Amino acid sequence: MNLTLKSKLLIAGGFLVFVFLFIPFFISFSGRSDFYFTLTSVALLSIASAGVWLTFYIGRINIGQGAFSLIGAYVSAILVMKAGMNFWLTLPLAGLFTAFVSVLIGLPILRLKGVYFAMITLVLTQVVTLTALALPITNGARGIVSIPLPRELSVFGVTLIPDLGTMDNPKLAFYLISCVLMVLTYWVLYRLVNSRLGQICRSMQQNEELASSIGINIAYVRIIVFAISSFFGGIGGSMFGAIAQSVYPSTFQVKDSIDFMLNCFLGGLGYVFGPLLGTFVLYFGWDLLFILDKFQLLVYASIVIILMRFLPNGLLSIRFSNLRRKSD
Amino acid sequence: MEQILVNGVYLGAQYAMIALGLTLIFSLMNVLNFAHGQMYVIGGFVTYTIYGQLGIPFVVALFASCFTLAIIGALVERYLFGPVLKRSAREESSMLLAAGIALLLDAVILLLFGEKQRGVPKIVDGVFNWDFRIIIPYDRIVICCLAIFCIVAFIAFMQYTKTGRALRALAQDRVACQLMGVNVDRYSTIGFALGALLAGLVGGLLVTITGVNLGMGTPTSIKAFMMVMIGGAGVISGAIAGGIILGFLEAFGLAYLSQYGDITYLLIFITLMVFLAIRPQGLMGKPWG
Amino acid sequence: MTSILEVRNVTKKFGGLVAVNDVSFDVKKEEILSVIGPNGAGKSTLFKLISSFLKTTSGDVYFKGERISNLRPHIVAQKGVVRTFQETTIFKNMTVRETIIVAQHLRSKATLGGYFWGTKIAKEDNKAFGIQADELLDFIGLDSLRNEVASNLTQGNLRALGMAIGLATDPEILLLDEPFAGMNPEETMGMVDLVRLIRNERKVTVLLVEHDMSAVMSISERIVVLNFGSLIAEGTAQEIQNNEMVIEAYLGRADDALGA
Repeated sequence: MNLTLKSKLLIAGGFLVFVFLFIPFFISFSGRSDFYFTLTSVALLSIASAGVWLTFYIGRINIGQGAFSLIGAYVSAILVMKAGMNFWLTLPLAGLFTAFVSVLIGLPILRLKGVYFAMITLVLTQVVTLTALALPITNGARGIVSIPLPRELSVFGVTLIPDLGTMDNPKLAFYLISCVLMVLTYWVLYRLVNSRLGQICRSMQQNEELASSIGINIAYVRIIVFAISSFFGGIGGSMFGAIAQSVYPSTFQVKDSIDFMLNCFLGGLGYVFGPLLGTFVLYFGWDLLFILDKFQLLVYASIVIILMRFLPNGLLSIRFSNLRRKSD
Repeated sequence: MEQILVNGVYLGAQYAMIALGLTLIFSLMNVLNFAHGQMYVIGGFVTYTIYGQLGIPFVVALFASCFTLAIIGALVERYLFGPVLKRSAREESSMLLAAGIALLLDAVILLLFGEKQRGVPKIVDGVFNWDFRIIIPYDRIVICCLAIFCIVAFIAFMQYTKTGRALRALAQDRVACQLMGVNVDRYSTIGFALGALLAGLVGGLLVTITGVNLGMGTPTSIKAFMMVMIGGAGVISGAIAGGIILGFLEAFGLAYLSQYGDITYLLIFITLMVFLAIRPQGLMGKPWG
Repeated sequence: MTSILEVRNVTKKFGGLVAVNDVSFDVKKEEILSVIGPNGAGKSTLFKLISSFLKTTSGDVYFKGERISNLRPHIVAQKGVVRTFQETTIFKNMTVRETIIVAQHLRSKATLGGYFWGTKIAKEDNKAFGIQADELLDFIGLDSLRNEVASNLTQGNLRALGMAIGLATDPEILLLDEPFAGMNPEETMGMVDLVRLIRNERKVTVLLVEHDMSAVMSISERIVVLNFGSLIAEGTAQEIQNNEMVIEAYLGRADDALGA
């Protein structure tokens, strides 16, 4: 897919108009404001999924993003509740703290590859959940609840984000802010992948030995990438906690880690916007299956299995191969 | 102290059996069976239904658990993993397929058996008490002995039967086996069925003590992954070692650390990370890239 | 001529097995030196020890007086000692040109952050990478295949690509891992010419590990012979051909490569 710069800008602009104008109008028109919660969740989960996708990009199957999202959510919740900080300040702190933890964890485990890395990151998710249950500061299974809505954020007297607690429609505000974060995340991801770092990551994905023989410090790049990936996880988790106004050890668990991975895979590992599409499809798919009641999980799992069985390269792969066939 | 050691042996024996099934499947197909914990849970529910509900003797129920899981394992291999592995060598596809199967089995368990915690009557009553230094219910002793017996039987099976030898050969070199005329597809199915059977067997054994519920699946899988990583993936002795080590760590952790909250698993995880940094292939595993 | 690389008493043990036993020799600036030996003589192990892909049990390797053994591979590459791999080790989903662009990592002046923000230095770098990649591909003879995906190349072209990857790092000494293995005489001749060209035009010292005796005899200025992990002879092609220990080592394993 070699699009010209103009058509790329058009697609990006169209997407922004759709997300920031069309959807809010559509929702206020139809009165289905419950869609806000769904779409906000998709936006936030797609941020965390973007992180998982980035670790895929250096050839690591990351099933630990749930752990980092949970850490991010707790950092913000604790800072807001115990230190009385403004949520908007805790948001970057949550991301940075999560990235810091990921560096500590990444140093030993990023040497592992394939199934081994997948296993240990999966174990990590479970361990973080158990730790959240055990530690006094996270308040165990009762979790941290009734977190106040984020306060006003102003810089030099200019209000950037108004106080969400006094707003008539905090749902819309959360939706817009989450979408801004999502757009930023994917902008960063797109730039990264198309910059030198992206080339280096691709080379490491294909052969780490060869990459190190041409002078690439593979251990360093792995850590950087893992830290960025976890930063996304932390940001997504932190926002999620702010919207739900509560964090429990079960807010992000093993199933979520696996879902993040599924999102990436379903959207396609070769495409930057794959995780976005994957998150959207899986989340809405899950929601739509709600009408099936007790058969929801059964049908959902069956669809996942069938997709894996017949579409091993993700959803975007069909679209692109069809396009290519038409243009030939 | 004696009590902790006995608890360690008891936990270690059951863990080793769970890890054995997982490592067998891993060594044969290079597939990480996410659904292993769910298979264990199904084994528990089958035994619960036959022994607990219908009142048919425990041994029959145990055999039914094994049989059910062997069938499930064979079907999963034949119709899902087999074709997918043939079509794509990417580790991701098989891993996601395994995750999907885990979800599917969870859904099946939910539909067939519900969400409630289920237990069965004790198979043996009474408690062994040695001077209050070791206190252990008789049924745990029985289950522990049965587990050890099953492990020994499994090792003997792998060592001395034709099928066992074929499976070991397959684990070592798939291509060579194919060239030598071993029916690779058939033995893959048998191996997967055997791995699943082991999961069902442990499930059936442990339902008599811990009961069984839907939520046990994933944590069980995760414990099994830890054991396999400790011992070295794909190695039978490694699975046993990993199981026993995790059993002892947990027994000691529960005894000494519970006053600081439940941080046993955090400490085990940190230890595991450090250990893997030094020895990525685990205790008994062969070095790899 | 001065020594550029010094191998000093290098030993490598795998458990009880001694793969390389107390080997010492020098590589002189801008020469082509070959390490040969029968199967299992420890050539490959020695090769990995020099490029730091394995750690020595004892002994050290010095590059221009500086110890390079037991460092991490990318640091050794930064110092100017770069190895190639056999043809299966490539970035198989990248095109030839992309591969060479990535391989110029050591030439980059901007930081990773600079590339992300697209600073002036980074833009200049990216431009230079493209120009130099085309130049290098012309030099190595892969210019017509620049947009081909690496996994579609023939074996001979893959080897040339491997060398181009090595050259893109601007090495002072290039370590070649069996550059002639599995080639027919014609291809071997082409490769011999290429190696000479690399040395003559780029002033790169070449150390190669090889099994094929005839190619080695024609290309090498000096040869080092290993047998059972020990160095048994060192000298010019002629000296080696007439060395009794060498003849014995090869003839002792009747099926080997002297005549082939």
